Amino acid sequence: MAARTGERDRCVTGVEGLDTILYGGIPRTNTVLLTGSCGTGKTSLALEFLIHGAMKGENSLFISVTENSEKLLANIIPYKFFDKGLIKSGRLVFIDLPIMYERLGLNKSELSMEEIDLLVSSLTSLAEELGTRRLVIDSVTSVCYKLKTSEKIRDFILKISKSLSDLDCTSILVGELPAGSESYSSFGVEEAIADGIIIMANMERRGDLLRTLQVIKMRGTMHSRARYVLDLTPMGVLLVPLLKGGSTA
Amino acid sequence: MSPVVSAQKIADELAETPPSSAVSLTMSVDNYLDVIRGVVDLFANRRQMDTIYVTATISSDSIRRVLEALDIDSSNVYFVDCISQIMMGATSAQQDDRTTLVESPTMLENLMLKIEYLIRRSQSKDKLVVIDSINSLAIHNSNWILSEFLHILVSGLRSREAYTVILTVEEHSTPELNNLINLVCDHGVRAGKEEAE
Ligand SMILES: Nc1ncnc2c1ncn2[C@@H]1O[C@H](COP(=O)(O)OP(=O)(O)OP(=O)(O)O)[C@@H](O)[C@H]1O
Ligand SMILES: [Mg+2]
Repeated sequence: MAARTGERDRCVTGVEGLDTILYGGIPRTNTVLLTGSCGTGKTSLALEFLIHGAMKGENSLFISVTENSEKLLANIIPYKFFDKGLIKSGRLVFIDLPIMYERLGLNKSELSMEEIDLLVSSLTSLAEELGTRRLVIDSVTSVCYKLKTSEKIRDFILKISKSLSDLDCTSILVGELPAGSESYSSFGVEEAIADGIIIMANMERRGDLLRTLQVIKMRGTMHSRARYVLDLTPMGVLLVPLLKGGSTA
Repeated sequence: MSPVVSAQKIADELAETPPSSAVSLTMSVDNYLDVIRGVVDLFANRRQMDTIYVTATISSDSIRRVLEALDIDSSNVYFVDCISQIMMGATSAQQDDRTTLVESPTMLENLMLKIEYLIRRSQSKDKLVVIDSINSLAIHNSNWILSEFLHILVSGLRSREAYTVILTVEEHSTPELNNLINLVCDHGVRAGKEEAE
């Protein structure tokens, strides 16, 4: 399709199936909520997004909140295209947020508005210093647990999205959902603010467990709203449409 | 009994189709071996292409033994086996680099995902995907879902410039099934019994 006036520049995720679903990729500078229950492949997909970015020369930053990044790297799918040299060269950087909390004196159970500003500005300066074009926070839900109220969560996500967007950075915020949850986010706030929502889920069909992915919204582009079945493989995340006649739902 | 089409003739006909073709290969139960020799050996192996062999009829082990008996090199043949697990309770532990198990022939999405994975992993210039057979898949799936499956599979493989060969056993086929295959295939190779002149 020919580019139209106002057509936004794309951040090609490099996950082929996802780029097809998004008619070319995530509109650049969008903040996307990638949400789903445990073990659905959120971290794998988010990481693949960063690796492809780094391979294309876009500086990429993974902010690990839930897991220690060393442990995370030891457990990820052995992607065939993942050259560890990208980490050595600084194209792909891993930061453990708990260490940052400690340095900033934010190691407490609840943050105040001022402390949220401090966290946002620290993350933003880090991204700026590193020239980050792609960023992942895994998971934003863990950060939200320290914010407690909807107002603070809204404030945090609005501010971080705005600052990253101003840096010309395309971001994925990983959200964790309890299994079987009907909503798109844990606090019901994140989803309204994010520019895009991608939901990953486990689906049971006749006793078989399928992993699925669906794009619910994505500002700045048309996209498929169909559900896809995915496989996490050493060649990356693979996607095929969920066959309609195959669903028992 | 009328004679069957030779393996060489099957290979020759396939060789005339361009990459990214979807071919419907109608065969008789009597010439299964000629079809295997024609498709895997005389066509794919000759041209040094990887074959992704989807089996829904007999187990990949059995086909491997057939290849061995026919003295056909199977080092470029990768199996997606969707029958061993439900029929013989094979477990994923029995998978190897050349054999991927799919839980059952009803898991058509997984079937597509495994094919996609092998296609991406393949290093050969041209690639061939064989579906053995549409009739076996039809035992486990409705025509409606099968049609959706074939459309998605074939268009995906076309975009990767892979050959798709869909085996149809004429004795087991129905007009509806033939119709459904004709909608996705751009070539037909008749490898059943030679029609009497
Ligand atoms: N080396 C591997 N090879 C293939 N699959 C793997 C490998 N390591 C993990 N997996 C699969 O990936 C799944 C976990 O994926 P991932 O960590 O991306 O999910 P997640 O949604 O981030 O999970 P969590 O909720 O725990 O954060 C595992 O359950 C496993 O099925
Ligand atoms: Mg995770």
